[in-house]
Amino acid sequence: MGVDPVTNTANVARRDSAGSSVSSRGRDSSWHELTLEGVSLTFNKGKANEYRALDGASLKVRRGEFFCLLGPSGCGKSTILNLIAGFARPDLGVIRMGDRQITDAGTERVVVFQDASNALFPWLRAHQNVEFGLSIQGLSNASAATRAMVYLDLVGLKDHANKFPYELSGGMKQRCQLARALVLEPEVLLMDEPFAALDAISKRIMQKELLRIWQHYRMTVVYITHDVNEAMLLAQKVAVMRRGPASAVKQVFEINQAYPRKPTDSAVMEILAKIEASLEEEVGVSLYAD
Amino acid sequence: MPTSLAKFLQRAAITATSICIGIFAWAVFAANFAYPDLVPTPLETLKTATQMIVSGDLFNHVGVSLVRVLIGYLAGCIIGILVGALMGRIKIVGQFAEPLLQLMRPISPVALVPLSIIWFGIGDMSRWFIIFYGVVIIMIMNTAAGVAATPNIRLNAARCLGATRRQIFRRIVIPSAVPYILTGMRVALGFAFMGIVAAEMIAAQSGIGYLIMQSRMLLRTDIMFVGLVTLGVLGAVIDGFFKLAIDRTMKRYMEYQVNI
Repeated sequence: MGVDPVTNTANVARRDSAGSSVSSRGRDSSWHELTLEGVSLTFNKGKANEYRALDGASLKVRRGEFFCLLGPSGCGKSTILNLIAGFARPDLGVIRMGDRQITDAGTERVVVFQDASNALFPWLRAHQNVEFGLSIQGLSNASAATRAMVYLDLVGLKDHANKFPYELSGGMKQRCQLARALVLEPEVLLMDEPFAALDAISKRIMQKELLRIWQHYRMTVVYITHDVNEAMLLAQKVAVMRRGPASAVKQVFEINQAYPRKPTDSAVMEILAKIEASLEEEVGVSLYAD
Repeated sequence: MPTSLAKFLQRAAITATSICIGIFAWAVFAANFAYPDLVPTPLETLKTATQMIVSGDLFNHVGVSLVRVLIGYLAGCIIGILVGALMGRIKIVGQFAEPLLQLMRPISPVALVPLSIIWFGIGDMSRWFIIFYGVVIIMIMNTAAGVAATPNIRLNAARCLGATRRQIFRRIVIPSAVPYILTGMRVALGFAFMGIVAAEMIAAQSGIGYLIMQSRMLLRTDIMFVGLVTLGVLGAVIDGFFKLAIDRTMKRYMEYQVNI
């Protein structure tokens, strides 16, 4: 091939969207930081199965930041993601991008779901899935197809563009979801345990790919995981959440290590130990002692 | 390819054997245990059928019945899909319609024959209505279930890709309901064939149902059996073609159902 797919992408996309470059948008001053202030949400209010998921959760994600939400299962990680995505609204507190309050879903915040079989539209081919958002925006079929192909190439799915989702492997499905999200040039990429269902090797490959793409585009990433090691490899900041119910953000760790990181780096291991201690405290079980 | 051909041949052989066993059992029963006038042998049935085919009688009856089934079936499918989609989309409509549907479901098309005569007279309209009724209830229920069963994740995915409620309904919810709708259409086709005899109880002068009813008066069980076998074969063959058409053209909608 010889052509760096990322540079290639930037050029084609620049021509297509009449002057507005897609590359390095993180430096775009019109982008915003994402804030949650005192957010509470209760499910099935007033019913027997009432469940208080979040109680006064606050966090701040700077623009272009790779931010991991980490916590034991049932701690409300996905609830926070759904709130940021605008799928749900909090009972109390506000969620903002810059000074604009988030009240609904929007294409500047696109989600990559864990359950790709349901998230991708099964009756559409991979490229049609990627074109979906563009055609909603009213792009002509031809220019949507051109744009989609650029992003399919970026995620390494160009050769499988004509396949239906059920013909794709787990990793390829997530690549497809990633392309479908990125093609809309979102300010924030919301990822809900996207690689949790993949085998160990596919997972590592996808993590590397994601980092490569993020380092180029510098969109804000809010990444949910229950895997400490994954958070260590990816995130600039890791927020550890309290155990549910009535969860909130417990503590935020900064990881100022250069990419790519190795799990064996001493600095990485040092922070890892701190984060695990924080998690152990929450779960109430020691992960290493007998 | 050879393996799929072998598979096909194996299936065909099993089907043929199964039908042969059925016919053989019928022959043994007719020859040894039954009063000859009550159960015709397969051979007698075949003879009568041949006569009716040669005279063109059978085709006339089949043609007339098929047109009736088709009109009632198509009307039932169209109305059923529209109403079902409405029920699935607008919650309050679904909640109000649900109990009425549950009350109507146990009422068989046969039970509506007298009412149908009073409402629509003894013309074809009555017969269409009987078949329509059997089809429409199934189609409403299946479509509504399909529309309601669209996975939440899929709806959310469409939302964050910028789709409006209307776009989500047209481009996500309806395609998601396609497997339910097609399955409903296959089941409803069977019901339409079951309804044809009831429909042709209404002063019909032709049709398979008429043939069966009429042969009772003449104690011609051989003709009756020709009618019954014709109904069975017709229904099975049409369903086979229907299934084939779905597999060929709707695979993209159906495949993931198995693969999740």
